Amino acid sequence: MKKTLLALLSAAVLVGCNPDKEIGPAIPGSPGVFVLSEGQFGKGDGTVSAFGTGTKSLLVDAFGTINGNAMLGDVVQDMGLANGRGYICVNASNKVEVVDAGTFKSVATIRNIRQPRYFASTSSARGYVTSWRGPYTSYQPGKVMVLDLNSNTVIDSITVGRNPEQLLAVGGLLYVPNSYDNTISVIDAATNKVTATVTVTAGPKTVVADQTGNLWALCSQPYGATSTPPASLVRFAAGSTTASLTLPFASSGASQLRISPDKTQLYYSYGGAEYRLSTSATALPTTPFIRRSFNGFGIDPRDGVIYAAVSTGYTTNGRFVRYPAAGGAAIDSFTVKVGPNGFVFY
Amino acid sequence: MSFFYLPKTRVFSPGRYWLGCALAAALLATGPAAQAQAPRPARPDTLLSRRQNRLPEARVRAVRPERFAVGSRRLELDSAVLAQYRGSTVADALGARSDLYIKNYGPGQLATISLRGTAAQHTAVLWNGLNIALPTLGQNDLALLPISGNTQLAVQPGPAAALYGSGAVGGAIVLRTEPDWRPGLRGTVQADAGSFGLRGTSLEARAATPALAVRVAASYREAQNNYPYYLQEPAGRVRYTLQNAALRHQWSFSPDLAWRVGKAGELTATVWLTDADREIQSGTGVAGSNAREIDQSRRLVLGYRRATRRGGQWQVRGAWFEDIINYSDQGAVSNSRVRTTQAQAEHTAALGRRASLRLGLEAQHFAAVVDGYGAEPITENRAAAFALLRYDVRPTLRLSANVRQAALPAGLAPLTPTLGVEWDVFQPFGVDSLIQTDRPGLTFKASAARTYRAPTLNERYWRPGGNPDLRAESGQGYEVGLRHRVGRPARLLLETELTFFNQLVDNWVQWLPLGPGGAYSPRNLRQVRSQGLEASTALRLRRGQYRASARLSYGYTQTQKTRGVAADTDPVGLQLAYVPLHRASLGTDHAWRGWLASATATFSSYVYTDASADSFLPAVALLGATLGRTVALPGRTSLTLLLQSTNLLDRRYQSYPARPAPPRAYSVSLRFNYP
Repeated sequence: MKKTLLALLSAAVLVGCNPDKEIGPAIPGSPGVFVLSEGQFGKGDGTVSAFGTGTKSLLVDAFGTINGNAMLGDVVQDMGLANGRGYICVNASNKVEVVDAGTFKSVATIRNIRQPRYFASTSSARGYVTSWRGPYTSYQPGKVMVLDLNSNTVIDSITVGRNPEQLLAVGGLLYVPNSYDNTISVIDAATNKVTATVTVTAGPKTVVADQTGNLWALCSQPYGATSTPPASLVRFAAGSTTASLTLPFASSGASQLRISPDKTQLYYSYGGAEYRLSTSATALPTTPFIRRSFNGFGIDPRDGVIYAAVSTGYTTNGRFVRYPAAGGAAIDSFTVKVGPNGFVFY
Repeated sequence: MSFFYLPKTRVFSPGRYWLGCALAAALLATGPAAQAQAPRPARPDTLLSRRQNRLPEARVRAVRPERFAVGSRRLELDSAVLAQYRGSTVADALGARSDLYIKNYGPGQLATISLRGTAAQHTAVLWNGLNIALPTLGQNDLALLPISGNTQLAVQPGPAAALYGSGAVGGAIVLRTEPDWRPGLRGTVQADAGSFGLRGTSLEARAATPALAVRVAASYREAQNNYPYYLQEPAGRVRYTLQNAALRHQWSFSPDLAWRVGKAGELTATVWLTDADREIQSGTGVAGSNAREIDQSRRLVLGYRRATRRGGQWQVRGAWFEDIINYSDQGAVSNSRVRTTQAQAEHTAALGRRASLRLGLEAQHFAAVVDGYGAEPITENRAAAFALLRYDVRPTLRLSANVRQAALPAGLAPLTPTLGVEWDVFQPFGVDSLIQTDRPGLTFKASAARTYRAPTLNERYWRPGGNPDLRAESGQGYEVGLRHRVGRPARLLLETELTFFNQLVDNWVQWLPLGPGGAYSPRNLRQVRSQGLEASTALRLRRGQYRASARLSYGYTQTQKTRGVAADTDPVGLQLAYVPLHRASLGTDHAWRGWLASATATFSSYVYTDASADSFLPAVALLGATLGRTVALPGRTSLTLLLQSTNLLDRRYQSYPARPAPPRAYSVSLRFNYP
């Protein structure tokens, strides 16, 4: 009986052969871009793909391919480059994966960072990760975790406002936007203490610095909130705690503030389209730059080519589309994994 | 019924099997000697009143809906198989003993069924003829349905809305608790213990007098589920122990009562209470989750059935259900409570000698208090009228025609007729009995049906995004097949079945970010075609004190989205996620003089885990086995010891992405029977 069972099972296995999985080569050499795909929450299938901008070669799921089919984790939120390494914030797995930036081989895993969001660094030895606290029904003031990038350990934590998002490290200071409050915490990187708090109109998610040293923040409704205040684009000077310019939107929903490599053009997403305005502008643009809604947006610092992530929901693979620096028709597009949300250029 | 005796050799050798087949064929060729005839009842001889059984004549016996499901397949787990799963749930029994695809998040965790490539909300689960789907979700968690108390578990694949109502798009699971009219007192008490902290106990007691049959069944189960699993990490394979997946407790209590009133009436009262407290496993990639869920169901059905003078019967039933789900995770809480009131009335009449007609009406009232709907309680009413016709043109040609029209809050549901035919193409000898069960020969069967699924309460009232204007999903399908039987149930029976099916589901509801402010909202968007074949062959052998049965089944299912809309970006023409192309199962049971041995092997080919048909879970083959021994004790009692093992080959696999399945696990059951 057992023999017939085994024969039957092996025949059945042949019938149900798994689809072929190609094992790719190494990650494409620089210049390139890492494309982050969040994956579907709960499935643990977040990935980082590597695209060589010169060769147009794409390695989907670089982490898994290079590291023996290891799973990166659940919800890949952000990645930063520092100290010759990549620091990948895996939001739902409460960890930061450290990989070698050139080969994508895993170097270390920094665990027990709760709900990590975004990474920034001030030097090759200091990194910072924003971290949320609390369940979605009652968020508590979040923290900025201070990392020693040589030992890949957490050495300190700084309490900021609720749900800190994409922080900016510039001039020895950290600007941490607290998206569930209406504030931006300013931290002195030398002392790891909050030295000032900037008040804005709604939940800020991103802070960028322009060529004059002014700081811009895009404020919109916070994650999980039921009220929807109108969004606004706020500019404030480097030492100030109040806005010097507030450009209000007609409704909420503005997001993904980015700045061009030469720091003279701002980009944001609003009302299903991308807009661009000069850092010296005093009013919001009326005509869109690209009439399309994107899940992620990045600008190549070398040639200004725009990389836009198109996510078609969390059940299908998404893709990224490339546009010329001046806008217009798309150049090409490539398919990556589920939920692409960001670009890191290397 | 599958307790057979073993011949001289213990191993089931193929040589003996073919010899047995040849013998059976030779015996059959000699003549129609042994076809037993049912005793002739006092009432006119109609399709309804003929029964081929030897039990004391029942005055009113229920005419089951299956009599009107001519041409459909039916997969049944009989009482002997269910006895091995008394402390388990429907998910365990169907997952181990059939080739049906159960989407399982882990032991005791959410388990839903996918019949013929459809989704979880496309299978209607009926208990004693009433739909027990959660009105909020429109589907059932099979891990919350303990077998305890249920005497029958059957699955009928294929669209069958006329018979079973809303939700029977891919098929229906039918659970039943039948009263046991055998006189006297019977009882069993069982204790279970198993790997990873599994503990359980169950008891069942029945008593019957000629007028009253009472049964009480109760079961309790708990498990730690702290089994080891392996994750592929950059450093290599790392061993972890599963956290937050315990079944804190699951108990089920079902007393029922049947009382014969007068000469022609029967009153039944059935109660089923279940309560489960589970830790919810959020996936190996998600850290820091302490999700926990309490599921409680209270079900009460009162029914009265009366036989009419002309051989028909009428029946009225009232049901009250209450379903509670309370979920919490680190301070985030979501509670829901739905109360369902149902009433059903039907009249079954004999039309001449060869036909019967059933007309019925049913109405449902839902009252829901759900956190997701806001503070206001929501109520909804649904009603349906149906007519079922069974007509045996000749004993060898059986037809059925059914139709149902349901009225939903948003308007009328589609009219759902069903046509079925069975034709005994070839029979080794003539039979004039009206009973068609176990009739040898070759039978051609075909069935075509339209079906619908009413929008669930969540789809209509969830805030934000609920869409009260949602239309019912509709579907249609047909199946054709052959069934071949050779032998007699008393000695050797070989039954082979082959079915081809093709069905279409239209207006399939999809949740997409189309609501105000980009909120997810359901829309009728998708059209899906599912086609394939199901083949099975079963052998039953009885030789003196040895009984054996073996069943091999295979299913091929191709399910693809055929048409969508611009907002639904899932690609067209690819196999749907979580639908394996091939499934197979092999099960065998042997019994000899108090010894019991059974083994089950299931195979499922790879399944895609996204709509892009890119990521997948690899194929998996599993083996389970049971060994049992019953010892007679003085005073007409007996003791049964059962040893069971699941995943005997110790396969490491994921039943769902990031949900590792348990490795090899054992359990021991000790059962005391009277008599």
